[in-house]
Amino acid sequence: MKSRHVLVGVLLAVAVAVAQTPQQQSGPSSFTVSGELSTPLKLSTDDMAKMPREKASVPDQDGTNIEYEGVPLREIMKRAGAPLGNQLRGKALASYILVKAHDGYQVVFTLGELDSEFANEKILVADKRDGKPLFGYQGPFRLVVVNDHAGARSVRMLESIEFVRLQK
Amino acid sequence: MKTLAIFVAVAWMGGYARAGDSGAYDWNLPKGFPKPRIPADNPMTAAKVELGRYLFYDTRMSVNGKSSCAPCHKQELAFTDGRAVGLGATGESHSRSAMSLVNIAYSVALTWSNPNMSQLEEQALVPMFGEHPVELGLREGDDFLSRLHSQAKYGELFGQAFPGEADPFTISNITKAVACFERSIISGRSPYDRYHYAGDDNAVTDAAKRGEILFFSQNIACFRCHGGFNFSDAGVSERSVRREIEFHNTGLYNPYPAPNVGIYEFTHDPADFGKFKTPTLRNVAVTGPYMHDGSVRTLEDVLDHYAAGGRAHDNPNKDPLVHGFPLSKEERADMVAFLQSLTDEELLNDKRFSNPWPSK
Repeated sequence: MKSRHVLVGVLLAVAVAVAQTPQQQSGPSSFTVSGELSTPLKLSTDDMAKMPREKASVPDQDGTNIEYEGVPLREIMKRAGAPLGNQLRGKALASYILVKAHDGYQVVFTLGELDSEFANEKILVADKRDGKPLFGYQGPFRLVVVNDHAGARSVRMLESIEFVRLQK
Repeated sequence: MKTLAIFVAVAWMGGYARAGDSGAYDWNLPKGFPKPRIPADNPMTAAKVELGRYLFYDTRMSVNGKSSCAPCHKQELAFTDGRAVGLGATGESHSRSAMSLVNIAYSVALTWSNPNMSQLEEQALVPMFGEHPVELGLREGDDFLSRLHSQAKYGELFGQAFPGEADPFTISNITKAVACFERSIISGRSPYDRYHYAGDDNAVTDAAKRGEILFFSQNIACFRCHGGFNFSDAGVSERSVRREIEFHNTGLYNPYPAPNVGIYEFTHDPADFGKFKTPTLRNVAVTGPYMHDGSVRTLEDVLDHYAAGGRAHDNPNKDPLVHGFPLSKEERADMVAFLQSLTDEELLNDKRFSNPWPSK
């Protein structure tokens, strides 16, 4: 009986300690792809591991090369049903992708930036950096916009991707 | 087997010595650090670094034999001095705080606010010969070179550092050697580095991990100025594309009191009044007091300053990045824990950077 009380006491103490420890504000363990799409998605690291993956080596602001690995944003948008390829014409070109980070940071892209018949930019949703999972303020997911010289659109702590059509 | 081990060890040491003799310099850089950009006329060599270390700590380098580079740049304080403003050999105060020399090899501009000063060889002349204020108080033509000549150790060190020169005891060679020593002071072995580059998840506390996320968050965004591996936007390396350095007015004063007027002193552009260089945050927990004039005492005070959006809100040059943000006491403590995780204890005690002269 006494040991049961001790056990309950220990569990309570652990519960209080956990409750008092502020949560780390890193990004969520999955991100959503939503908006005016036929197949909205919610993707975790496991989901990303099953998709076509690519690597990108980019210099950071100090000239150090970093290798990121992940899934092309083009592939993710294609699976979600965004109008790419021969569907990317007319009113579909008046649309944008709104990318949000866990801390409220937001940037936009157009489908024309992604599509292979247009700018064909290499944009990854990365989950690994130099072979290791992204963590802390970087992760678990971030964008890597290879040809952006400034890194400001390479959103860290990715939370959501939203597709918005301006003309229906 | 033992004989073989000794043979291998001797062979390795021989190879190491030859590498040193041939001038090859092993930076032994931490992971994530690019190679620094070095002036073509002053390549790094182990011999110059060693001569520079002796000169750095030598009181013969001052007018009255009382000072050297070291009193303003103490190793245990990450090569700062713990004072609000520096103090020269003759007791004259500097108007600004002594900057850390850690990772100075990566700094595209030197001192707090001189956009034209980019070479350590040139900068070394300022504390040596400057008169406003007097720092080391040397004068060209006085006998300080002969004072160095008289020290037998220097015959060996100058000869090794500048082989083949008939008289290597020159001011130019002194500044080259001091610059090489300063460039060798690389800091990248902090708990933060072990956490990020060595995969040691326990190297930093949970508080430091939370603080790091705040540091890089959109609202607080310290990283916009204190970014990159050296936590400064004033960095350059061998591989980086040359870019204009940014200087910042952090809203300390309006107007900034002379002589600390920032880069305006050199550009004479009113928009540059009060703009200073972003110092590295590596080892920042031991480099207080803070800001160009040491007017902010602790890291908590620094965070409060930025959370308040500066203390001179009406300064028209205040950087828009100094916009203020809500910061709880817990968040402030987390951010301090993160900044403390940047302290490289190995550097602060590394014998390669210590005073080589026997204590008196």
